[in-house]
Amino acid sequence: MESQIELSFEDIRGKQCAKLIRFIGDLDATNIEFVLEKVCNLINEGIVNIIADFKQLRYVNSTGLGILLHFSKTAREKGGCFKIANINENVYEIIEIIGATTLLEIYDDLDEATAALT
Amino acid sequence: MAKTEDNNEKKVFPYCRKISFPFSVNVRFPGDLDYIPAVRKFVSELLQVSNFSSKFAYRSEIIVDEICNNAVAYGCRTDDAQIELVNSIFDDRIEFTIRDQGGTKDNLRRLKTAVKTDADGKKEQTQQGLGLEIVRMLSERLDVVIDEENLTSVHVVRKREDDREELRPSN
Amino acid sequence: MTTQRMEIDIQEVPGAEGVAILHFSGDLISESVRRINECFSAVGKKGKTYAIVDMTEVSLISSAALGEFMGCRKRLIEQHGDLVFSGLDLEMRTKLNLMGATKIFRIYTDIRTALNSYKWEIERQPEKIHVSFPPYLKIVPPLRQLVSRIARQKGYGNRDSFRIETIVDEICNNAVEHGKPGADDLIDLSVIIDPDKIEIDVRNMSDPDKVASLTALLLPENAEVDKLKPDVKRGRGLTLIKMLSDKLSVECTDRGTSVRVKKVREE
Repeated sequence: MESQIELSFEDIRGKQCAKLIRFIGDLDATNIEFVLEKVCNLINEGIVNIIADFKQLRYVNSTGLGILLHFSKTAREKGGCFKIANINENVYEIIEIIGATTLLEIYDDLDEATAALT
Repeated sequence: MAKTEDNNEKKVFPYCRKISFPFSVNVRFPGDLDYIPAVRKFVSELLQVSNFSSKFAYRSEIIVDEICNNAVAYGCRTDDAQIELVNSIFDDRIEFTIRDQGGTKDNLRRLKTAVKTDADGKKEQTQQGLGLEIVRMLSERLDVVIDEENLTSVHVVRKREDDREELRPSN
Repeated sequence: MTTQRMEIDIQEVPGAEGVAILHFSGDLISESVRRINECFSAVGKKGKTYAIVDMTEVSLISSAALGEFMGCRKRLIEQHGDLVFSGLDLEMRTKLNLMGATKIFRIYTDIRTALNSYKWEIERQPEKIHVSFPPYLKIVPPLRQLVSRIARQKGYGNRDSFRIETIVDEICNNAVEHGKPGADDLIDLSVIIDPDKIEIDVRNMSDPDKVASLTALLLPENAEVDKLKPDVKRGRGLTLIKMLSDKLSVECTDRGTSVRVKKVREE
């Protein structure tokens, strides 16, 4: 059983091989399998430019952060990117503590993240 | 607002007592990941009803999550292993003590490595190290004790934040 | 690149007769298929229907080997068992996902978690949660949500979980209200949950003067009367618990009062 997380997927207008993923809920050890499968499937299908909208992501722990770094690495290896937008203050703090702010591509909002897509 | 709530509470429950510090709430649950989300949210809500700020509660939720995940991953040997989380709540701080069954030799070695800080102040960045690093950053004190029988207990102290910090505008 | 020879070690689990843990190591390639098949035949002959395949030491898995695991799983499922994986690292999980295997096989972080899942789902073994807390009314809402969330996490539906939340709320409120005035004794909440039912036990040191009124509320005639009094704010708790649960009992001894409720899963 997994803790509550929902992922919704949307196309990004005018961008090739790109998707917007909205994370809703808590990202933790109980649901990384689910998230891993969904996002890796996208990357494997060739959708290598991903923007993750964290506006409704309430919570993330070290395990969750581990897979975010994995997505970033995998997308880059395939010539794409994994950008994060709209992080709330609490989640940002955890990313900062781990020292992952430089490893992840973080943007203030969706417009900024979309504009940075090549 | 809070006063009105208290008054209403008194009318319906004339015998109810107000929270007085310190008090302790103990939770014992199976060494299974399934239980952690519910336990960590319980602690967060417990702190909020004890008049700690929501930010304090959130940070404490992360501490509980990380120490519980460690206990499940590294401190349980048998399938019926139980984990005990003691939440001692004072008016100025919370102390968590988590006790598990004690892991295998290999797990204990990894735990010791994750806790240890080398001479240059660098920590080994294992997955477990990452979790304990978050705990260390969010708390005033973190002690890991492994007794002669390899039973592990982790003790964390987190102090109530200054009100001014809560009001500090975010960038 | 040289291939690492595949090794298999079969382990039985005391107390879980139907389970076999298979520790694989090395490279699982097309040449390994025959040995994998033989290994599962040996497991089947021992009457084991639930196989936990430990992949911690596996460095490579080919599509041919994965196909063999699928065949073995099919045979185990026909005997009401399963084949599950444990101990895969992130890289290996990603590879299995790419091969479409994560849609077929259940994957657990470690052997213990896989074994727990077997005991829960197949043996329907109960799990226990215990909370001790001081008699403060404000602690009850977080507490009732703790139990409700656990029920939801363990697969209970929204309706069942909501009813469980109401039951915990009512019993704990009663325990807080009927506790001995001035007593510092903690209230004990025990929950035993399995896939079919949940049992809740709340124990506290009761005020002897209130025990009589508490037990009286259990009488059907009193419960009905209370229900009809619009000006009475409290006292409907036990009536409500009775309506929501399958069994309710109250036991008063020198050690305190224990209210026990059993609720069978409906959804």
